Amino acid sequence: MTVKAPSLAVSKAQKAQRRRENIAGYIFMAPSLLFFLGFVIFPMGMCLVTSFFNYTMTDFSFIGFQNYAELIHDSIFVNKALINTLIIVVLSVPVTCIFSLWVASLIYKMREVHTSFFRCVFYLPVVTGSVAVTVVWKWIFNNYYGILNYLLKNLGLITMNQNWLGSANTALGCIIMILLTTSVGQPIVLYVSALSNVDGSLVEAASVDGATNLQVFWKIKWPQIMPTTLYILVITTINSFQCFALIQLLTSGGPNNSTQTIMYYIYYNAFKLNRYGYGSAMGIILAIIIGIFSAVQFRLARTDNG
Amino acid sequence: MKKLLALLLCMMLIVPSALALADDQVTITLWTYPIGSWVDDTTVKGFIDSFNAVHPEIKVNVQYLDYSSGDDQVTGAIEAKTTPDIIFEGPERLVANWGAAGKMLDISDLWADTKDDIVAASPAVEAACKNAEGIYYEYPLCMTTHTMVINKQYFEKADALQYIDEETHTWTTENFIKACKALQAAGYIPGVIYCGGQGGDQGTRALVTNLYSGKFTNADHTAYTMDSAENIQALTQLQTMVNEGSLTADPGIVAGDEIALFCNGTIAMGFCWNASAAVSNKASMQETVTPFPMAFPSDDGVPELQGGIWGFGLFDNGDEARANAAKTFVKWVCDDANQAVPSVYATGFFPTRASLGDIYTGTEKEDNAAFSLFMPYLGDYYQVTGNWAVQRTEWWNLLQRIFSGGNVEAEVATYVTNSNSGI
Repeated sequence: MTVKAPSLAVSKAQKAQRRRENIAGYIFMAPSLLFFLGFVIFPMGMCLVTSFFNYTMTDFSFIGFQNYAELIHDSIFVNKALINTLIIVVLSVPVTCIFSLWVASLIYKMREVHTSFFRCVFYLPVVTGSVAVTVVWKWIFNNYYGILNYLLKNLGLITMNQNWLGSANTALGCIIMILLTTSVGQPIVLYVSALSNVDGSLVEAASVDGATNLQVFWKIKWPQIMPTTLYILVITTINSFQCFALIQLLTSGGPNNSTQTIMYYIYYNAFKLNRYGYGSAMGIILAIIIGIFSAVQFRLARTDNG
Repeated sequence: MKKLLALLLCMMLIVPSALALADDQVTITLWTYPIGSWVDDTTVKGFIDSFNAVHPEIKVNVQYLDYSSGDDQVTGAIEAKTTPDIIFEGPERLVANWGAAGKMLDISDLWADTKDDIVAASPAVEAACKNAEGIYYEYPLCMTTHTMVINKQYFEKADALQYIDEETHTWTTENFIKACKALQAAGYIPGVIYCGGQGGDQGTRALVTNLYSGKFTNADHTAYTMDSAENIQALTQLQTMVNEGSLTADPGIVAGDEIALFCNGTIAMGFCWNASAAVSNKASMQETVTPFPMAFPSDDGVPELQGGIWGFGLFDNGDEARANAAKTFVKWVCDDANQAVPSVYATGFFPTRASLGDIYTGTEKEDNAAFSLFMPYLGDYYQVTGNWAVQRTEWWNLLQRIFSGGNVEAEVATYVTNSNSGI
């Protein structure tokens, strides 16, 4: 008993200390937790609930899964919004990752001042307001006096003005291109940081052992930047799925729904047609799709890393 | 102790004053769409200051909306139950949309002493401001007819002035087609049928319905009738002209972009014009552009122009004191002996009270008086037809489908089915 008494006292003191730390931790967390609950979790719950209602400006009646059933038969949702969204994700996510990694691998070895300069250049579209960026791009693509038509005509690549945003053949490609310019900034900054943190002694040892640059990259650097890659993949995927401002400001989903995306179609139904319940159902479907994509990415990245 | 005492004394002085002020003053909120200078803060605050000189007990807060995001803001406010007390817009929103959804107050009492004066100005205005049951949701301030505009310099150079009646500002469909071909042959872009969104869609609607004297809705305003033979013929004609290059269809722009193209001399005519646009775009007009307002072309040369009626509606916020204060403000803005004319003058449009007469001759906005010659062509105010918001989104999608090669009859059938469902 005399031996155990001090350890019991220490244990109680430790528990009290831990409790105090936990309480302090929860108090510090409380503001952001309340914010998260109020502005993320609660709206998500509301979205789920309203997706089961015929919720319009004049009606709020329970209809079960009817909104979801209607979605399956909505040709614009299935054939346009969903397909276009997937095209944007499938094209923009890999290109963003590969381009960012390529740029970062070129600039991270430069002198600090040069690296900072390029980081600023590529990060500029991110910190510039999306409306301002979009207005500039709208001017570049203008059918009548846009600089792109002017340049291409002078270079002899086209003979007459192209309506880049007004043609179903080119509008989605233009949207994806603009999306890329606004998406690569953060990944480049993250990759520069990740590549700078790769253990130099491992790289040096591998080089001494005769490894080529490609081997050094795949065997030494790539595994060490995998957590950053995973983060970039997930964030870029979510951003691509939620592409909205560009569509709203440039094409309104047209022409002929050729740039319709799930996010814009949600807005269109909820705010233009006042079908809040139907829009909520789409939101739930979009959340499920994003969840599946993210889970797959986590799974693949973990396997690769292992 | 001394500090506490001083604080208590201050509280005793401030709290009763604040409570007394709160008891006496009612605060109301006005949301206004950009109707002429009613988006200019100096102008609107000036009106509110004048109002407060006679009604210090009512405080008016103002918020300015734009046509690209204003409807979304109002929709959000309706669902969040944070709507303003007063909103300044037209019957298509006040009566056909928010009024029909039960969100607006019946303001029939405001009409009691001015109805005859308004009807004398235009019976169509009175009809547009109430629903089928005769409940008034709008108290009108001003009206206009929407026109199109041509660049007289380009027309002259293309020898196309022969196709318009310069005196009456009218032309026939046949001459419109000839003028477009002449402009095309002279190397100009004659006109652009914008269909990138719903902004300024009154222009494209008027173009289609006037070409062969079609009707946009039936007489009762209970169904959209774009599938009539006249309208099908008009859309087919426009599709042909686009295919031939004597007109351009652009799903990448809306009316605002089209007006900019007209003002900078890129195109020879615009389909979205009115007295207010003539004033607000004067500064941006290039030297090569001489705007000349025109009625829309029609087969018989007698156009039926679409009207614009703007006035005030009151959202039902369940607060009688605020509603009464809002009515006091609206009545003062529209009918006060000293304020009625400045209120209308700021819009750039025409009074909806016959008693106000011509308010522009001899003023800085004298050019506006010229637009009064279009008023006799004021057509049916069909924007109060049910499902209006759905119809608007269907309209520009219809144009996009047709001008990208869609079958006119099939595409119109889709439009009519979607627009009429749920009326």
